Amino acid sequence: MSVVNQPQRSGERAPDDSGRATAEFEPRITAFVCNWCTYTGADLAGTSRLHMASNVRIIRLPCTGRIDHVFIVKAFERGADGVIVSGCHPADCHYTAGNYHARRRFGVFRELLSFLGVDPERLTFSWVSASEGGKWADVVNETIERVRRLGPFDSYHGLAGAATPADDPFARFEMPAGATGGTAAAPADGHDAASQAPSGTGDAS
Amino acid sequence: MSELQDTARRLLDEGLVQVVIGWEEGPRGARPVFVTSAADCERLIFDARCVHNLATFLNPRRSQITALGKAAVVVKGCDAKAVAGLLREAQLERAGIVLIGVRCGGVAGEPATLAPPALSAETVSARCWGCDVREPESVDMLVGEAQPEPPVTADLDERVAALDALSPAERFAFWTKELSRCTQCYACRQACPLCCCERCIVEKTEPQWIETSPHPRGNFAWHLTRAQHLAGRCVGCGECERACPVGIPLGLINRKLQQVVYELYGYTVSEDPAVPAPIGAYATDDTQDFIE
Amino acid sequence: MSERALLLTHDGLATLVEELAAAGTPAVAPAWAGDAGRAAGASAAARETEYRTVSGAAELAFGERLPRLSLKQFFLPPTEVLFSWRRVGGGVELIPPPTDFAAQVVLGARPCDAAALPIVDKVMNWDYADELWNARRAATTVFSLACGVEDDSCFCSAVFLEPAAARGSDGRLTPVDGGYLVETFSDKGEAFVAAHRESFTDLPAGAGGEVLAVQAESFRATARERVAGNLAVDHGRLRDWLDHHFDDPFWAGLGPRCNGCGVCASVCPTCHCFDIVDEPESVGRGVRRRNWDTCQTCVFTLHASGHNPRQDQNARFRQRVEHKFLVYPLKFGDVLCTGCGRCSRACPTGQDLAEILADIDARAAIDAGAGAVGDEGAADEAAS
Ligand code: SF4
Ligand code: SF4
Ligand code: SF4
Ligand code: SF4
Ligand code: SF4
Repeated sequence: MSVVNQPQRSGERAPDDSGRATAEFEPRITAFVCNWCTYTGADLAGTSRLHMASNVRIIRLPCTGRIDHVFIVKAFERGADGVIVSGCHPADCHYTAGNYHARRRFGVFRELLSFLGVDPERLTFSWVSASEGGKWADVVNETIERVRRLGPFDSYHGLAGAATPADDPFARFEMPAGATGGTAAAPADGHDAASQAPSGTGDAS
Repeated sequence: MSELQDTARRLLDEGLVQVVIGWEEGPRGARPVFVTSAADCERLIFDARCVHNLATFLNPRRSQITALGKAAVVVKGCDAKAVAGLLREAQLERAGIVLIGVRCGGVAGEPATLAPPALSAETVSARCWGCDVREPESVDMLVGEAQPEPPVTADLDERVAALDALSPAERFAFWTKELSRCTQCYACRQACPLCCCERCIVEKTEPQWIETSPHPRGNFAWHLTRAQHLAGRCVGCGECERACPVGIPLGLINRKLQQVVYELYGYTVSEDPAVPAPIGAYATDDTQDFIE
Repeated sequence: MSERALLLTHDGLATLVEELAAAGTPAVAPAWAGDAGRAAGASAAARETEYRTVSGAAELAFGERLPRLSLKQFFLPPTEVLFSWRRVGGGVELIPPPTDFAAQVVLGARPCDAAALPIVDKVMNWDYADELWNARRAATTVFSLACGVEDDSCFCSAVFLEPAAARGSDGRLTPVDGGYLVETFSDKGEAFVAAHRESFTDLPAGAGGEVLAVQAESFRATARERVAGNLAVDHGRLRDWLDHHFDDPFWAGLGPRCNGCGVCASVCPTCHCFDIVDEPESVGRGVRRRNWDTCQTCVFTLHASGHNPRQDQNARFRQRVEHKFLVYPLKFGDVLCTGCGRCSRACPTGQDLAEILADIDARAAIDAGAGAVGDEGAADEAAS
């Protein structure tokens, strides 16, 4: 994997991230793109100097077929607020069918994420060809606007608790309340858990 | 039951198999048994407590079982679907096993009772709802009397629908609370007939794809992965949820994905190994409403 | 310890729980796992209980079903931070976890859960004193509740305990009319009672008090008698048999059924193995954690070379039995099992420890020439 589009702001985030919930919230987006189409398209967008927000870190892979769902999970785990997965249009795959396989898997995974409560609005799937620099800029800008409206996704990173020495080394030293034992609660019981969900620092870079 | 026992005895006597994997009466109810001598065939039983999916024991990497020799395995229709899954994925050779099908009238949720319970909407296993393979066809022989339809319970679908009706934030809170109990013991994986990978992704440490610490973040990664890997493969036997020591409602996730693969790709899990699984196959005109 | 027993009435218990909650002292007790359990006529599944921090008497499930997980999670949590680290300049700074745990009390521990604590203390203080375990132990006062015996899978009396064993408890409650007879066994227990004296009442003087004492003893005697029938083994010959039958075909009869899932270890009060992992939290910082682990999984003994000394489940299940009934006793003088029966209840495939121990004991009896033990069924079992 290679990383391009280094963000213009500092890689290290200030320890106090509280500003992320306010108006100046700048979403962090991770994009997994295929080498042959979208990556080249993104490059074109860059060289064409299209206006595009700089919040996206691109991770280049050979094919959408190589983009495993755990990449998306990892991105959220490390503090991404949104994820873009993009590759060649149907019938254009460099490897013939990688994008068809990806389409099936992500069709299911998107539903799965949603069922577990990750808002599918945080995810963008797109087909962007090597010549569609303009489309890439649109995909990026639209995704950022959508995620900006949803706010930070620190709650995912923070599921492990704030074990970050800089601010609060052991705020969550124990398991969260109700973390052990017991049987399944019916869905109706679960709604109050929002307040119990640990609120993380969302600190990742 | 004598028909089951006689069949097993004949298979062992004639040397067609060296072990029959079935159920017996254990100290706390029905449990799996590995019968290697004709004389022991009288231990075999089949009743509503025979909940275990014995296809799990066909995992070719369980060397303590393959060491016993060629196996005949007693299967309910739903277990036969799991066997079909193993055949579909080239984990087994059809000629390498003998399948003794049993006519099934439904099983209970729980095998640990001293007598078979009367099946009711409360006691019947969620897997039995809408079952279309109570007399499996992919087997080598079918034993037992014809059985009545099991009682109807749509409980699982209702609970899935109740979750679907919530907002993502509410579902996130629900699962955060549920998954916070998970200890990442992987008993759900071990109980699953289709989780038979030589090396599970959770055991890959370079890089560590799944955080193995059982805090909710690690648990989300584990459960998203377990579920995704079983999408279109899970036969809905419920063994994962039954094995879980802390009662994580895995059946909700499995059922949801069964619905998803049906809605998106028209797939229902099949007893026929020739029917391709939805993930791993594709159609050029698959839905792509979700793709920009 | 206590010269005279006290009484904890049901109201007294309620006051005590509320008082502890108000004072912010965590009170861990068996409690209903769901709201449904309390309802009359609730199904067996709804009547599940768990140990958790309670804040009111309505949550308590004293004398109900055995909590599915043991008490060990309050001393060895499923995951805990060993230290955090961060990069500072050219070096790495390690930040140890705090070990100044606030005082907590366990009310109504099963005697088999309480007894596991001093047993596990031994390995936790063998070549290395485990600060986290020890600090939690020191911060916790344990009151057990005399047990009426859960079911036929219990066998505490076969492992040197009994349903009202005092081992590991700072005090004990025994059900009597109107509440619980209270005894204390340690300074900690005594101090707890003294600090909450108003929740406890004196036993009525004279005959009234004696009636309660007799009730308590009869409750304990009934339980003792009930569990004694479940299992009896001779540990000396059992150890001897285990020591000389490492390669016995017996083990090949146990492995096939086992899923290698380790549910038996998760629920066990004495299993204490853990895995150590490093988790990055961000660039330049992270945590080291320890997480529950179990010898029943296939990767537990997998070497980096690819060699696995415990090749199959036969060997792994043998390890479970040998560690508990041979190795630990030889090393630490204690059987690593309190007979709670949780492993047998929770095993998804019906592996039954009491049955296995009886089987081994029968073989050991034959080996020891102690005369015929009329259990031929047991011998058949292993052959199949
Ligand atoms: S995931 Fe669960 S329900 Fe599905 S096949 Fe595996 S054990 Fe059965
Ligand atoms: S979770 Fe995935 S990788 Fe692990 S055993 Fe199951 S299918 Fe295989
Ligand atoms: S869901 Fe249950 S069985 Fe699966 S890993 Fe978690 S605790 Fe274990
Ligand atoms: S004995 Fe039972 S609970 Fe233990 S590892 Fe084997 S199958 Fe799992
Ligand atoms: S080995 Fe089984 S019976 Fe013994 S303490 Fe552990 S769970 Fe209880």
